[in-house]
Amino acid sequence: MAGPIAGLGYYEKSARTSFGVFSSVLKARFRIVSRYKGALLMELFMPIVFAALPILLGVSIASGGVDVGQNWKDTTGTADFKAYMLIGSSTFMVVMLMTWLVGFWLRREMVSGTLESVWVSPAKKYLIIGGVTGYALIRAFVAFVLSFVLGSFVFGINLFQGNMLMAAMFILVGLLPLWGISFMFGALILRIKEADSIINLLQWVLSFFMGVFFPITVLPGFLRLIAQSFPPTWMTNGVRAALLDVSFFFETWYLDLAMILVFAAVFPLMGYGIFIATERRMKKTQGMGMY
Amino acid sequence: MAQAIIKVENLSKTFISKERKKFLRPKKRTIEALKDVDLTIYDGEIFGLLGPNGAGKTTLIKCLTTLLIPSGGAAWVNGFDLLKEENMVRASLGCMLMGERGLYWKLTGRENLDYFGALYHVPKEKRVERITYLKELLKMGEFIDRTVETYSSGQKMIMAFAKSLINNAPILFLDEPTVTMDVHAARDLRRIVKQLNKEGHTIVYTTHQMYEAEELCDRVAIIDKGEIIALGTPTELKKSLNVKDAIELEGAIPKGVVQIIKEMPGVIEAAIKEEKRGTTTLGIMCENSRIILPKLMEVLLENEVQIEYIKPMDATLEDVFIVKTGRALSVDTAELAKEKDRGAGGLD
Ligand SMILES: Nc1ncnc2c1ncn2[C@@H]1O[C@H](COP(=O)(O)OP(=O)(O)OP(=O)(O)O)[C@@H](O)[C@H]1O
Ligand SMILES: [Mg+2]
Repeated sequence: MAGPIAGLGYYEKSARTSFGVFSSVLKARFRIVSRYKGALLMELFMPIVFAALPILLGVSIASGGVDVGQNWKDTTGTADFKAYMLIGSSTFMVVMLMTWLVGFWLRREMVSGTLESVWVSPAKKYLIIGGVTGYALIRAFVAFVLSFVLGSFVFGINLFQGNMLMAAMFILVGLLPLWGISFMFGALILRIKEADSIINLLQWVLSFFMGVFFPITVLPGFLRLIAQSFPPTWMTNGVRAALLDVSFFFETWYLDLAMILVFAAVFPLMGYGIFIATERRMKKTQGMGMY
Repeated sequence: MAQAIIKVENLSKTFISKERKKFLRPKKRTIEALKDVDLTIYDGEIFGLLGPNGAGKTTLIKCLTTLLIPSGGAAWVNGFDLLKEENMVRASLGCMLMGERGLYWKLTGRENLDYFGALYHVPKEKRVERITYLKELLKMGEFIDRTVETYSSGQKMIMAFAKSLINNAPILFLDEPTVTMDVHAARDLRRIVKQLNKEGHTIVYTTHQMYEAEELCDRVAIIDKGEIIALGTPTELKKSLNVKDAIELEGAIPKGVVQIIKEMPGVIEAAIKEEKRGTTTLGIMCENSRIILPKLMEVLLENEVQIEYIKPMDATLEDVFIVKTGRALSVDTAELAKEKDRGAGGLD
């Protein structure tokens, strides 16, 4: 490689400026979202409202004389159906945030016109997407904790039960395959641009298969198999099993965790590969800026 | 002579677009936006890319800035291979590509500059220093600390220009930077471009306004339908015409009369520069306006053409374009291609 003919201006590649890319993207994302008033509030209450429906349904059936708790215990292993629902909807929100992370970000940058400005810079894509991811992780974590705590308070659920450390571990490891999936949806957005209707549809499909409101053991065999090929299904179940008397899919926690680790190794690599291939394809055809 | 800082060899870019018509299956159409372009730009020059809408200026710039991968050919930017050393090519450039659309509207101007500076691996203290300098240079007022959504379109363009300067790159790509600016702001921008050039930056500047290219650029490539049809200094280009004189004529001129004028002896080329509410501005290139004028008057009288004015002019780059293509710059290449498709003949 020959050196530059006319220098490189203020470009100085170092570990410090590379970290600067990551942290600047992270900071900018927080600044931007903080300037849309109401957005954060929405995200906080959404999972609570989401969990409220089945909980209230359960409560009203219970008040009719049926012992919902007992029935629930027979199929899921725990009588605490309220906590079951709240965990389901809180993890679902984390799953949503993570799954659409790259896709939503790309879409926003496309519509605002900044995508090309970002792409024309010499910053490595993984540093930029790393910053966006860091932002999404923090947001997902805060949203999960807040909605869980608030929800527990609203519905009178015991916060401190089960193995909270193990639950946290399932969430953390479970985020990795989601991150990989996020790149695949990012690639999809690059290709088809407008994806709102697909997102809406997939949202319901996903919530169905990951068992937000019911144990996937009630699904017929082949559907259960599909459900179990979704990494978030394992994450949700792992959290429930850690906190409540729900059983792990493989009966032991470490086998379930190992399964998620396998997903965590495969999905990000596959996702990033698909994403980069799609990016090149776009640049070979019509470019990145269209929307 | 200075070193070649950008070298383009046989660069081509073909787009495949789908034409959608109601319920019919989309028809595929290929657009050759660039056809085997060869070009050398030297270190320290202001290089103009002049051409009508749809000529391929933006496509060329997007290829050279790594936003598009060309369909064929090769290029080197600042000594780096465009296809193999993408990141070093990017590190060598400052770009103003989409005008005001390249900024985050929810961030302030200063935050935008800092953010993009970081993406160019500019260390924090250099960014702070650079922003202070740019604020001074571009006379940016208090608005630098307001969110971009509150800016006037002129202020947005200035901020977009500032963004392209944040990394102090040796090469600047400016794609129609003055297009939404008023006359004063545009003049200021051109003055700063000249100043930056004196400080050593190489500048690639696209425009479809010939006077901008003429005023600003050391050398100009005139591009039309994806091909470079003329290249040289503005003076060279004008000299190459063998046009001594040009006449501008405005009035209600029927198409047939334009054709008659084109075919008059002593007329090199004639083309419509502008058409507005029944009034046509016609540019006529000729060997000697004094000889042509009486004959021209005859033709106009014979055809009962209503004339607003006739005036002799110096040849401009626009006239170079007219002579080479038989059309004026303001006429859209894309529109023309469509007319050709329909078999309507177009203007040439
Ligand atoms: N993504 C794309 N897909 C299909 N066709 C495209 C695409 N981008 C550009 N084109 C076509 O390529 C040709 C060259 O376009 P380009 O944008 O390079 O022109 P330009 O010289 O920059 O014009 P303007 O002065 O209007 O900006 C045009 O016919 C345009 O329609
Ligand atoms: Mg253009």
